[in-house]
Amino acid sequence: MYKKEFEMIFDYAKDKVDDIEILLSANKSFSTKINEQIIEAFNYADSKGIGVRVIKDGKIGYSYTEKFDKETFGMIVDEAVANAKCSEDNETAVMENYSSIDKKLNIYSEELEKVDVKEKIQFAKDMEKYAKATDNRVFNVPYAQFGNGTTYSRIENSKGLCKEEKQNFAYAYVGALSQENDDKRVGVEFIIGRDFSKFKAKELAEKSVEKSTALLGGEPIKSGSYPVIFNNEMMATMLSTFSGVFSAKSVQEGRSLLRGKLGQLIANDKVTIKDDGLYPGGFSTSAFDSEGYPSQTTVLILNGELKSYLHNTITARKDGVSSTGNGSRNYKSTLSISPSNFYMEKGQHKETDLYNKYDRVIEIVAMQGMHSGANPISGDFSLSAEGFLYEKGNKKHSLKPFTISGNILQLFKDVDMIADNFKFDMSSVGAASVLVKELAISG
Amino acid sequence: MLDKKLIEKVIDKALSNGADFAEVFAENTYNSRISFNDNKTKQSIVGKDFGAGVRVFYGTTAIYAYTNDLSEISLLAAADAVSKAANGNSKKKIIDLTKKIFDNIHPILIPNNTISKEEKIDFVRKINKASRDFSDQITQVDINMLEKMQHIMIANSEGLWAEDDRNYTRVYVTSIASKGSEKQTGSSGPGAFKGYEFIQKIDPEELGRKTAGTAVTMLNAEYVPGGKYPVIIDNGFGGVIFHEACGHALETTSVAKGASVFTGKIGKQIANPVVTAIDDGTIPNEWGSENIDDEGLPTKKTVLIEKGILKSYMVDKMGSIKTGYEPTGSGRRQSYKFAPASRMRNTYIAPGESKLEELITSVDNGIYAKKMGGGSVMPGTGNFNFTVAEGYLIKHGKITTPIRGATLIGNGADVLHKISMVADNLDMAQGMCGSVSGSVPTNVGQPAIKVDEILVGGRQ
Repeated sequence: MYKKEFEMIFDYAKDKVDDIEILLSANKSFSTKINEQIIEAFNYADSKGIGVRVIKDGKIGYSYTEKFDKETFGMIVDEAVANAKCSEDNETAVMENYSSIDKKLNIYSEELEKVDVKEKIQFAKDMEKYAKATDNRVFNVPYAQFGNGTTYSRIENSKGLCKEEKQNFAYAYVGALSQENDDKRVGVEFIIGRDFSKFKAKELAEKSVEKSTALLGGEPIKSGSYPVIFNNEMMATMLSTFSGVFSAKSVQEGRSLLRGKLGQLIANDKVTIKDDGLYPGGFSTSAFDSEGYPSQTTVLILNGELKSYLHNTITARKDGVSSTGNGSRNYKSTLSISPSNFYMEKGQHKETDLYNKYDRVIEIVAMQGMHSGANPISGDFSLSAEGFLYEKGNKKHSLKPFTISGNILQLFKDVDMIADNFKFDMSSVGAASVLVKELAISG
Repeated sequence: MLDKKLIEKVIDKALSNGADFAEVFAENTYNSRISFNDNKTKQSIVGKDFGAGVRVFYGTTAIYAYTNDLSEISLLAAADAVSKAANGNSKKKIIDLTKKIFDNIHPILIPNNTISKEEKIDFVRKINKASRDFSDQITQVDINMLEKMQHIMIANSEGLWAEDDRNYTRVYVTSIASKGSEKQTGSSGPGAFKGYEFIQKIDPEELGRKTAGTAVTMLNAEYVPGGKYPVIIDNGFGGVIFHEACGHALETTSVAKGASVFTGKIGKQIANPVVTAIDDGTIPNEWGSENIDDEGLPTKKTVLIEKGILKSYMVDKMGSIKTGYEPTGSGRRQSYKFAPASRMRNTYIAPGESKLEELITSVDNGIYAKKMGGGSVMPGTGNFNFTVAEGYLIKHGKITTPIRGATLIGNGADVLHKISMVADNLDMAQGMCGSVSGSVPTNVGQPAIKVDEILVGGRQ
C-alpha cells in the first residue's frame, strides 16, 4: 500500500538529499463510551501520515504531512532539508538496508476485525450494567469503554530498505466509584487483547467494583518507614514511569541517573529487567523499529547488574555498540528511544509469601501523580497512594490515602521478594508483585 | 477551506438518519518545533496537520468520525458512517449557511514564518548561554521553540459557518543542575496567542537565568519532613491546583455525568468567601484565548465562583443539552482528531486585597511554594497530588531554607474552603491541558493564596 506516494517523495528528493527515509502509518480505530446505558461517545478514525527524515551534508532534518499530494510532498522534502541545514548535530544517521526478522509474531488477528460494532457497544453497556449491579455502594460508573485499532506501517529508505507490517488490538476498561459515608474510592479494571472471546464484561466489572469497595472506610496510617508491597499493576506503573532512564539518548545527554553505571550492581540480585520487541503476541511487538532496524530481546538488568541501555542506531554508533532496535518515532516526531515490551522478570514466590514475610506490611494498589511526583532524572518520587495494611499475613484494613516517597534506585536495591503473578499493563510494561524492605510513608 | 456546496452535502448526509444536529470541522495547520539541547540545534521538525471531522447528535449520544482525506467521496463516507451509527426521529434539515464574521480580538503582528530560522536559533542560544553561565552546576539546558498556525473551518446544521486563524508561539526551557549523581530541574514555558512579536518581548538572558536559579536552588535544598502544614502557594503556575482539582470538575463533561463534586451546587457556597474564580477566553492574545471556540461560538468571560458561591460551569454544546445551561463558548479540541468537549481557557483566581508579605508573616511553621510543578487529580473524588517545583520552609513568619521532594496532597472541594487569604499579585502561566478532547493551550493563574492546612508529602 502507498507505493505511489513513496515513489513521488523519492523522485522529488533524488537530487536534493544524500539519503532519505520515509515512514508511513495508517490507522483505523473505533471506540465507544457508555454512560447510564446510553452511548456517550462513538468515534471512528481513519487517519494517516507520512514522516520523512533526510540526510543532507551529513546532517539530519525532519518533517511530516497528513496531506497527501504532490505539492505537499515537495514542501516536506524542502522543509526537512532546511531543518538539516540548521542542525548543529554532528551525530549523523547512517541509513542502511537492515536485515529482517523471520519469526511469527502473532500481532494481527483477522478474527478481531470481524467483531460486529453492535457487539462492541453491548460489551461496554454490559460492563456498566454489571458494575452497578455488583454492589449497592457503587454510585457511579464513570468509565465503561471499548475500543479497537488497526495500524499499517511502512518504512523505506534510499538504501533499499522496504518493510511493512499490520497489527491490531482491542481493549476495554471499566471504572467504578463507590461510596461509604464520606469516603469515595475508584477502581479500574482493563483488558487488552486480540481474542474478543476472552473479553468478559462481568468479570471486568466485578473486579473494578472489588478494587473500589475494598478501599472504602480506610484508617489513617502513622507516618514512618514500612515494608511495602507494590502489587503487579503498581510495580508496572513504577517501571513505566522510570523506563526513560534506560534510554541511551538520555544517558548520553546527561539526563539519566544510570550514566556511567554499566556493569555495576544497581539493584538487588533478584531483579532482572528486559525489553523484548519480539515478545509473541505483545502489544508493543514489531519485527522492526522506526528506523527499520530488526527488533530483539535486550537484557537491561541481569541479577541486579546493569547490562545495557536501550539504543537506536545513532546512540549505538556513539557508544560503539549495536542498536537494540528501540529507535522510536511516529511520523509527527523526531527519532528517540522507547522501550517495547518492557518488564521485570517474575520471581518464584507465591503472592501470600510476600504478605507473610514481615509482621506489618503495606500493600499499594493505586497511585497518583506519576507524571509530576516522579522525577525520571533524579529518580526521586513522592506519590499519593492507596492500599491496605497487613499484619502477620492478614489483611487488617484499608488505608486513607497516604504518600510514598523514595528513590527508584534505592527501591531496586531494597527489593526483597518477587511474586509469580506476572502481568502486562495497557502500555506493555509488565511486572509481578514486589516486596520492598522499606519505604517512607506519610499518612 | 471547503466549498459551501460540499459542506451542505456532508451535513445533509450526516442528518439523513434522523440526527438532531450535524457539524463539520476542518483544519489545515502548520507546526514547527526548533529543538535545542547539548548546546546544539537538533531534531527540529516542521509539518502539516490536515483533516476533517464530522459529528452528529442523537439525543445525548455524540458520534464522531474523522479523516485526512478531504475529497467529496471520503467526507461523504464519514458522514454516512456517523449517520448510520444510530437512529433518530428528527426531521432536521440544514439551515442555509451564512459565513459568520466576528471581531478578531487577538491580532497577530509578526507572522512566525516571516522570521528566519537563524534568528530564532540565535534567540534560543542566548537562553542557553545565560542559563549555563548562571552556575557550574548547570549541566544541561533543553529549549524548544514551538510555533503553530492553525486555520479552522466549522459549519453546522444550524446554519453556522465560520473560519478562523489561530497563532501560537511558545518557548519552553528546562535547566538541569547536577551534583554527583543528583539532578534537579527548573522549567519555564512562556507562550501566547501571538506571532513572533511575543518572542521579541522576552529577555532571553533573564529566562535562562530564572530556570537555572530554580534548578540550582533545588539541588541544594533539603528534603521536607511530611506532615500537615499551612501553605502559601505563590502566583502564576500555582493556579495549576485550582485548574486540576476544581476547574475540571466544573466542566460539563464531568458535571453532567454526576462524576463531579460540584454537580447541583450552582448558587451554593463552595469556597471561602475570599475566592472568586474566572475562566476567560477573551483576554487579548493570551495563551488560552480564542475568537471562537471549536464549535464556532464566540468565546466568553465566565465567572465560575464569585465570593465563594458557584455561579457557572463551563458548558459546551453537548453539555448544554445534558445540563440545560447555556453554552459558554467552552467547546475546545486539540485537532480534527477529537470531538470537542467543555474545556478551560484562561482560568484564574481573581486578585484579593492582601499583600504576599502579609500571607507569609501569618504563618508560624509552614511551606512557601514559590513555584508549583505538575500534578494529577483522581476524577470523581477530587483528590489531588502536586509537586512543589521550588519551595521553602516558613518559620515564624519568615521564608527560610529551600526544600525539595515536597508534594501537596488534598481534595479540591475541601481546599476551596481552606483558602483563607488571597493576595493582590495575580499572574498567569501557560500550560497544555490534556483531557477527553486532547491537549489544548490553557492559562492557569492566581495571586498568592494561603491554604490553612494541607498534607505535604515529603521524606523523613
